[in-house]
Amino acid sequence: MSPLLTLTPGAARPRKAEPLGLAIDTTFDDTSLALLRGRREVLANVTLSQYADHAEFGGVVPERASRRHLEVIHPLLAQAFVRARENGAAVDFADVDYVAVSNLPGLLGAILVGVTVAKSLAWVLEVPLIGINHIEAHPYANFLEHGELPFPLVHLVAAGGHTLLLHQEAHFNWRIVGRSVDDAAGECVDKVAKMFGHPMPGGPQVDQAALTYPPGPQAFPRPLMNDPGLDFSFSGLKTAMMYYLRDLGGEVPQGEQAGPILSAFFEAVCDVLVAKTLRAAQRLKAPGITVSGGLAASRVLRRRFEEASAKAGLKLYYPPPRLCTDNAAMVACLAAYRYEAGRVDSLELEGFPNLPL
Amino acid sequence: MSETFIAGDVQTPDALGLGWEDGRLNPAALQGLNALAVDTSSDWLALALLKEGRPAANLYARMGRRANRSLLLLLEELLAGAGLSARELHLLVAGIGPGSFTGTRIGMAVALTLAQVTGHPLIGVDALRVLASQARVAEGRRFHVLLNCAREEVYHAPFIGRGKGSAETLAPIRLRDMGELIPELAGEPVVLRRFQPDAPLGAFANLNALPLHHPHPDGLRLMALGLEQFLAAPAGPFPAPEPIYLKSEAFRTWRPAP
Repeated sequence: MSPLLTLTPGAARPRKAEPLGLAIDTTFDDTSLALLRGRREVLANVTLSQYADHAEFGGVVPERASRRHLEVIHPLLAQAFVRARENGAAVDFADVDYVAVSNLPGLLGAILVGVTVAKSLAWVLEVPLIGINHIEAHPYANFLEHGELPFPLVHLVAAGGHTLLLHQEAHFNWRIVGRSVDDAAGECVDKVAKMFGHPMPGGPQVDQAALTYPPGPQAFPRPLMNDPGLDFSFSGLKTAMMYYLRDLGGEVPQGEQAGPILSAFFEAVCDVLVAKTLRAAQRLKAPGITVSGGLAASRVLRRRFEEASAKAGLKLYYPPPRLCTDNAAMVACLAAYRYEAGRVDSLELEGFPNLPL
Repeated sequence: MSETFIAGDVQTPDALGLGWEDGRLNPAALQGLNALAVDTSSDWLALALLKEGRPAANLYARMGRRANRSLLLLLEELLAGAGLSARELHLLVAGIGPGSFTGTRIGMAVALTLAQVTGHPLIGVDALRVLASQARVAEGRRFHVLLNCAREEVYHAPFIGRGKGSAETLAPIRLRDMGELIPELAGEPVVLRRFQPDAPLGAFANLNALPLHHPHPDGLRLMALGLEQFLAAPAGPFPAPEPIYLKSEAFRTWRPAP
């Protein structure tokens, strides 16, 4: 074995103007595959959620998630091509021009399923392999939906275990300017929903409550909201709810009694997210902001961002709900730019559980 | 075996008993067949290549967690060395474990993907069958292969020696309780896998343990077993093999902290 051997399949091939990308995302508990023509034509975006597989545990069990990814990824791969054909694109493996995969951050065992399948595909198809940062990909759901967006941009990525503010000046040129120092916003929302007996994911139930009921009088904290920095903290908010319910005594309120409490809680979450994002945009002189990740599907949060961005004179972009949760289409969109720029990876591509600092 | 090359820091395992020499693998049936065998279920990566019906390469190396990073490069080098590309393979054989969680998945993910893209059959072979074929047992002698798990559980399968290194499976692999299994093994040799060499064997101490020259699944033996299975029903169907994990049910009783 040559210790110096690195293999970059397909790197020498001439780049196509409208390439067909195949993308995979297995970073957490959703198995997602997408076929993308060019930068924006989604031929297929198929996702299998594992919520039901983990329901009995009240949270995602990493090993179970990894096993499930391997069970379903190949049938889903076949289904992606079927879906593309249903959409009028007669494509097959031989038509694929590059293979992209989210290789960080997330559950390592789960990521490695996607990475190994992607590397095998790139090798056998002799096409470039592109490793994608899942967090960097989330804002590209907006590029899919809205087309080219003018830089610089501030992105709020509120996805599962991450709440981050990114400052992007060009494609591939971005940095993290704010992050949660403890729980992510979505994690906080899910845990509070669980306190009220809602199954995972609890975000939609909390959003519905906030949409239906005006906020109650409960004075939930807005952690770090008035701190001049751009970091978030949501652990204290979750704890505040826990103490509030404890002090209420008796059964946890349900239905109409729970609605205003959840609405007040979610108002606190939205206040912090909106305030920090707008502060980042103003400080970094970014005329536009994007919101992406699972929490971006919240109708209440969108309304809050619409009001605040209009008042501040900022251009706001958010994706349709189907592109808010983890999906491979956003991965493919970022990968299309990487393919055009010739930024491809070798077959030694690894998976990483954490974001680089 | 003239084209076989070996990587790694152990001695070459005995290549006898793989079926090519004693006629179990009919050369005429294998004519023109290119096949790849992959096993990453243990710390030792095992790869083997069949080119035009004859063994072309056998590679094994201690990889541990590096398997994911290096596997595709090794495959490329293995096939390039034999003048083949992945698309020229006709058959895939994968070790399905029992093995480590991620390790077992890596090899199977590669094999399943190659099979899906090429449309060629994929045969799964469990590690106990491979290890049984690596044991030297007299013809007609019953023996057992045990693979240690945790919580007093072992994977077990009984075999009978058929001479020249071949072994016939007497019953499918099962997860067994050690306390229940050990009395059944009295007087019959056992192959023990995943026991620390220096660790006391406890309840196994009095068993008649069979040493293995290379106590990990070997690529060519995996290949031979896969080919036997393939030749027994060359038209298929070949259902997608499923991985066998160590501690397969462990997570069912685990509960996250409240």
